[in-house]
Amino acid sequence: MNRLKRFILLESFPGDSASPRWPAVAGNLTLSFLILVSLFYVAFSQVTYQWAWGSVARYWYKFVYGWGVTVGISFLALAASLVVGLAFALAQRSRILILRYFSKMYVEVVRGTPLLVQILIFFYVVAESLQVRNRYVVGVLILAFFSAAYICEIIRGGIESVGRSQIDSARAVGLTRTQTYRYVIFPQAIRQILPSLTGQWVSLIKDSSLLSIISIREFTLNAQEVNAFTYSAFESYLPLAVGYLLLTLPISMWTRRLERKYRFET
Amino acid sequence: MIEGVPGRAARWIHEAVRHGFWRPILRLHRLKPRGWVSLWAIGILLFAAFWFGCRSHLQDNRLVVGMELSYPPFEMTDARGTPSGVSVDLAYSLGEYLGRDIVIENIPFDGLIPALKTGKIDVVISSMTATEERRSSIDFSEPYVRTGLSLLVGVQSDIRSIGDVDRPGKTVAVKKGTTGHAYAARHLLSARLLVLDKETACVLEVIQGKADAFIYDQMSIYRNWRRNRETTRPVLEAFQEEFWAMGVRRGNEPLLGRINEFLKVFRQSGGFDRLAERYLAEERETFHRLGTRFIF
Repeated sequence: MNRLKRFILLESFPGDSASPRWPAVAGNLTLSFLILVSLFYVAFSQVTYQWAWGSVARYWYKFVYGWGVTVGISFLALAASLVVGLAFALAQRSRILILRYFSKMYVEVVRGTPLLVQILIFFYVVAESLQVRNRYVVGVLILAFFSAAYICEIIRGGIESVGRSQIDSARAVGLTRTQTYRYVIFPQAIRQILPSLTGQWVSLIKDSSLLSIISIREFTLNAQEVNAFTYSAFESYLPLAVGYLLLTLPISMWTRRLERKYRFET
Repeated sequence: MIEGVPGRAARWIHEAVRHGFWRPILRLHRLKPRGWVSLWAIGILLFAAFWFGCRSHLQDNRLVVGMELSYPPFEMTDARGTPSGVSVDLAYSLGEYLGRDIVIENIPFDGLIPALKTGKIDVVISSMTATEERRSSIDFSEPYVRTGLSLLVGVQSDIRSIGDVDRPGKTVAVKKGTTGHAYAARHLLSARLLVLDKETACVLEVIQGKADAFIYDQMSIYRNWRRNRETTRPVLEAFQEEFWAMGVRRGNEPLLGRINEFLKVFRQSGGFDRLAERYLAEERETFHRLGTRFIF
């Protein structure tokens, strides 16, 4: 019984950073992977579908090109949204009232409406009136501003989680507002912010697929085109899933390393 | 104290909730044979219900028709959301002829063939052109509409034919998965291609000048021009002739034969004239005036 428990269960209390022994890791990992694979296998074998990988393989360049465009757009949008999100987060805590209210309104509107609607309105109405014609620029901007609203809330939550005593001590010691932010609040806020932030980045990469509706030639649109030409839905969309996983898994793994790095006691 | 199997099941659930699930699961090895039998029986019953529930549409008399309900006047919905249009009426007439109930599934156009191949629908009646490429995946009935690809251009544009479009610097909008898309991808190698999901987005791009032309079928180009008389201009002469047909799964010979019989009978009894009268009266008159062949 004990040997079974040692294989199946993790010996720890919430808050411990225990890790299981390697036989348990290896065994359980392969077991869960096998379960997942067999679930998919059973599901797919029920469907009377004729696989046609050959006709899809001819379009390999479309997949690679689309993946490249998605990487580019996501990366740029990510960087921009971080900057804009930080700006809005600071604006929400600013002493100038109009900045506060504007920022709050912006966040509520952007978080409360579907991205699809925002893309269509932004591209066909706002960008048109500002005469910005380049789809890719507009796409990156939309994605950046959409994500910035979420990042603003994440950062704000992180900042507000820093204890009141910290800010009071900083004031007592004589630090200015900027110095408090830089040396006291942000290092501690980063711990709270990092998990949600990287979650939002992963979300951003997947949301970029919605840009296909304004015909930005990113990964999803290319896979859909291959589907349209070959009538093979699964063979077109499974590489799509793998491609997005290739983008999101490294981010998750990098997050875990960053979290461990910033894990200090408060 | 509740006795018997229900009592023991209730106590098992109670213990699981209170002490965590692993303890009662590990004690299942103490279950008597009749306990195991009843567990298996429940499992099999659930599985059977699920299995038969999923396969029910194969056993009863329904014919599931797939179409994309965003293509007026052929496939559309009325104000309350019920399907209506030429293809819908055609589908119900087919159902009457075959003696089967019709169920209409609203599926995006480029998902129709995958849905047909996987058995989610039995027949595609969605103004789908019968192309050689599609014939390698599904079987088509005899054609019931003859139409062609046309252009919609901006009102300021000087494009007069498809040849004017295939130039560097020109942008062409197409709807994803249509024959316009296939034509542009194969033949328009100098122009830039904009692939969009919706017909309305394509028209909007032409109106705003982001695209020089929209390639679509003749009837829809005409209707879109009618809606946007001040901002667009149609180039109605078809540069590629096309036929619409109904699609069935590969190897579904019996259904295909019956559909072809139905189409013959329907045409002879004037069914298509009635459909034109009901949905396409103005178009039919305009086409006669312009001397262009009408679709039916």
